[in-house]
Amino acid sequence: MAEAPQEEGGPVRFMKQHIALDYRVHVSPLAARFGEQLRGGQIVGSRCPRCGLVYVPTRAFCPMCTVAMGKQDETPLPDRGTVTSFTILTPIQYHGQKEREDYALASILIDGADGTVGQQRLCEIPLDEVRTGMRVEAVWAPEDERTGEPGDRGYGFGDALRGWRPTGEPDVPADAYAEHVL
Amino acid sequence: MAREVAIVSFAQTPSIYGVTETESQLLFPVIAEAIERSGIPRKEIGFTCSGSADYLAGASFAFVGNLEATGAWPPISESHVEMDGAWALYEAWVRLQHGDVDTALVFSSGISSRGDMREVLCLQNDPYYLMPLWADHVSLAALQARALLDTGKVTEADLAEVAARSRRAATGNSMAQVAGDVTAEAMSAEPYVVAPLRAGDCPPVSDGAAAMVLVAGDRARDVCERPAWIRGIDHRIEPHYPGVRDLTTSRSTRLAAEHVGVGDAPVEVAELSATFSHEELILRDALGLADDVEVNPSGGALAANPLMVTGLIRIGEAFRQIHDHGRTRTLGHATSGPCLQQNLVCVLEGDR
Repeated sequence: MAEAPQEEGGPVRFMKQHIALDYRVHVSPLAARFGEQLRGGQIVGSRCPRCGLVYVPTRAFCPMCTVAMGKQDETPLPDRGTVTSFTILTPIQYHGQKEREDYALASILIDGADGTVGQQRLCEIPLDEVRTGMRVEAVWAPEDERTGEPGDRGYGFGDALRGWRPTGEPDVPADAYAEHVL
Repeated sequence: MAREVAIVSFAQTPSIYGVTETESQLLFPVIAEAIERSGIPRKEIGFTCSGSADYLAGASFAFVGNLEATGAWPPISESHVEMDGAWALYEAWVRLQHGDVDTALVFSSGISSRGDMREVLCLQNDPYYLMPLWADHVSLAALQARALLDTGKVTEADLAEVAARSRRAATGNSMAQVAGDVTAEAMSAEPYVVAPLRAGDCPPVSDGAAAMVLVAGDRARDVCERPAWIRGIDHRIEPHYPGVRDLTTSRSTRLAAEHVGVGDAPVEVAELSATFSHEELILRDALGLADDVEVNPSGGALAANPLMVTGLIRIGEAFRQIHDHGRTRTLGHATSGPCLQQNLVCVLEGDR
């Protein structure tokens, strides 16, 4: 933003006030375990023992049934899925912005899961070819670059995945994932 | 005439520093416990209201994730206050006055240990004068304590007495964080944090969560052996800028107390959100409590201070005094803002 004019020696009309707050957030035991499994190259979800819905990443309880879930409810999932919605982002160059080029983030319904994983980076595809129903597979970071940090406070894949790329399989029709878009 | 509404159940986590769970994970068992104790099936709850602060979580819209712990499917009628859960209780009470729903769930949560409260709470000050000075809440409380001491009505020894009594009382409260069989002399020997407030005059940094179920009318007696009826609940606020207030008294507390009729009958127990020792003396005076009123038998906010939950716990403790201990008239108090800026007073009564 352009600096507002301020007359030398005149009354103060504008004042800069930078505020920064530091937080130290524990990785919950549940998210830490999920992160360790990712480091080993395995995506894991939780299957509700009552309604059978599968959530990924794992969760401590089913938010639909309010039933606790634990290790016994974990279920391994493949690193493949379907794009159910997406956004093309044009990064505004605010202070701290690291993105320079337009990019795509998508919600991905992993095969066998009932809920999507949001904010997933799409790669190896021109942006004007991104579409819902597109089949994708995970692009894993090299094993020695995965820290086991689950990222986004346990709601993402941290640095284990670089993103998702098209598999080349035929697109999935919309009614196949209509109940699992968000 | 207000519709009769009662608290029928209450549950809380122990207050501790540095929980590793997420806020929704903290809330999940607490909400389940409050609902189970209420005897009201979860799906029959007519209104849900929660209190929390995104500045504690360090993330925007953090409160939305907390709703997962309620099992909000099919969709529920729900609201949130960016305040202590005591104000969520107030909103739920107002909602029940409409008459079309009979039950409400109130919950709140806060993980203060993630940030530095002496930085985070600066952001509740006005952005022009106090915020740029980073006038932190302990320093502002110390100014208030100094003003109170300067009146000559209280001494530092009185503050130490409050600090010691709170810790001794907390030895009987398994949910408290700071407890011990300490003397006022020992509290007087503690170092100053910000003079005249010593370590014992200041609250611990606490994480926690609590939940409560409200029921209107006779159904409260059907589901609960001894419900605590909300005879009055009111909250009042004073100017934002502490410099324009008389900090040695609490006009907002006095007003709220008058509106809910605190003085209409004797109060047996008062649970006050006095987060600094001198605040208890100011509040006691503003509420017009008699000398024989038992104040903070739980240890109060000096023994455990999970921000956004402390006030709801006070009202929960006032409920427990009626429900568990057979008292007939108790009081819960909550506060918000620097130097007791905003205050809520809730009078509870058991059936005689």
